[in-house]
Amino acid sequence: MRINAGNLKKGEFVFFQGEICQVQKADFYSPGKGSALMKARLKNLISAKNVEYAYKSNEQIEVLDVTSVDMQYIYKDKENLYFMDERTFNQSALPISIVGGISRFLKEGEKMFVYMYNDKPLTIRPPMSVKLKIVEADDAAKGDTVSGAKKPVKVETGATVMVPIFVKIGEIISINPETGEYTGRV
Amino acid sequence: MKIQTSIKNLDNYKIYLQVEKAVSEFMESNNYLKVNLPVLSPTLIPESYLEVFETEFKYFDNKQKLYLTPSPELFLKRLLVAGIGNCYYLDRSFRNSEPNSDWHNPEFTMLEFYKLGINYLQMANEILKLLKHIGNKVKNPFFAKASKGKQKLKFDKWEKFSVAQAFDKFAGVKEKELFDEKLFIKKAKEKGYKINNASYEDLFSQILASEIESKLGRNGYPTLLYNYPRQLASLAKLSKDKKTAERCEFYINGLEVGGFCTELNNYKEQIRRFSQESGKREKNKFINHTIDKGLIKALKYGLPFCTGAGIGFERLVMIFTNTTSIDQLKLINIS
Repeated sequence: MRINAGNLKKGEFVFFQGEICQVQKADFYSPGKGSALMKARLKNLISAKNVEYAYKSNEQIEVLDVTSVDMQYIYKDKENLYFMDERTFNQSALPISIVGGISRFLKEGEKMFVYMYNDKPLTIRPPMSVKLKIVEADDAAKGDTVSGAKKPVKVETGATVMVPIFVKIGEIISINPETGEYTGRV
Repeated sequence: MKIQTSIKNLDNYKIYLQVEKAVSEFMESNNYLKVNLPVLSPTLIPESYLEVFETEFKYFDNKQKLYLTPSPELFLKRLLVAGIGNCYYLDRSFRNSEPNSDWHNPEFTMLEFYKLGINYLQMANEILKLLKHIGNKVKNPFFAKASKGKQKLKFDKWEKFSVAQAFDKFAGVKEKELFDEKLFIKKAKEKGYKINNASYEDLFSQILASEIESKLGRNGYPTLLYNYPRQLASLAKLSKDKKTAERCEFYINGLEVGGFCTELNNYKEQIRRFSQESGKREKNKFINHTIDKGLIKALKYGLPFCTGAGIGFERLVMIFTNTTSIDQLKLINIS
């Protein structure tokens, strides 16, 4: 689909210098002289490197029509995360470097959407929130109960999350996997 | 668009007020007069890349087009001609067709000030003093952390690059290429930029935004970019070599925070630039507002030798609150 670069949004996919990239950030920017720009941060889905590029906001660009396929996250090794399409049993691998920090919050066996382009997996569609159990946590220190105080805890995927001090080991919490922030108890 | 109440931003908003107070103190102790100005004007300075908000005053059958001012310049320059002396404005400005982003809202706060008898490089010292003053006054333990959290930002000196040095260092564009339009466009094409329907100014801005800006103001000091090619002069005076304009912009954490220039006071040149800009507005199908002839008349009378600076106030506060978006500073957001 062709759009004005000025309408480019985070999460969309484009070809940049011949390679597929995902938009990490897109901000309108008017330098005052010269035409207005759309300043984008593009993540190359092969090298996993980010590149900054300023499109002219009225420039026509092609946004890729990708499909999202419901898959099960089965396991990971040092480099990749592996997903399975439950209808076809086809397996797909996605490098951890491409999926990024979100991979720290993914639990084996969970279902999620994987973006595909021409039958090739690109990356995952981050879930809005994930629910994970706390496996390691210190007890709240006495007297340190002012509102807003936080402590680090470890969740079942091994990631560390900052939570309010009243949250205890064994509790299930919800987390925004994109920011790694605690959003509440389940 | 909708209205959003964001009381969670209260702490940041309180720092916003501290910065506002620090600016007022600095201005007052350095003999700048605060000027309150209208935001609705019947006429404007033509600027080819800025779209404006248009409205209408109605009284029975009388109608008068009015525009929200994209900057207070047209009023402040009249006052400078009339003899007001050093002055500043800290209030609203409006730019249409510029959607909300992390760094900009269509309605924003502008700090604009003019000092008589100094050039752009002397103004750079003045701005450093202002930043230092704010830094000393603002009480926020997280203030002005450098973006990677390793160095605290200091305002003791500038990291300085001429535009030519920055293009060479960060984008591999040689000075010879930067100052020759044909060579520059050729270089941009080699770099993969689309050159169809792109002007020198367009490509300059694209390369600056893509390859240079994000690297500026990252070493614990603000970065000063100075001596812009004459095509980017705006209302700045040209340097003696006529290749560059006496214009600066400054950056902190990869973000352009403000700019300043030795003001052009040759009225013939100003009239020429006005009509050039007005022509471009027409070509871009922008709102056809009337050209501010009163300002031309005032400039003909004579603008004193001075330097003017414009700072995006919200961007300035972002530095002292260590926030990444203007939205985080406001109690009420329209987005």
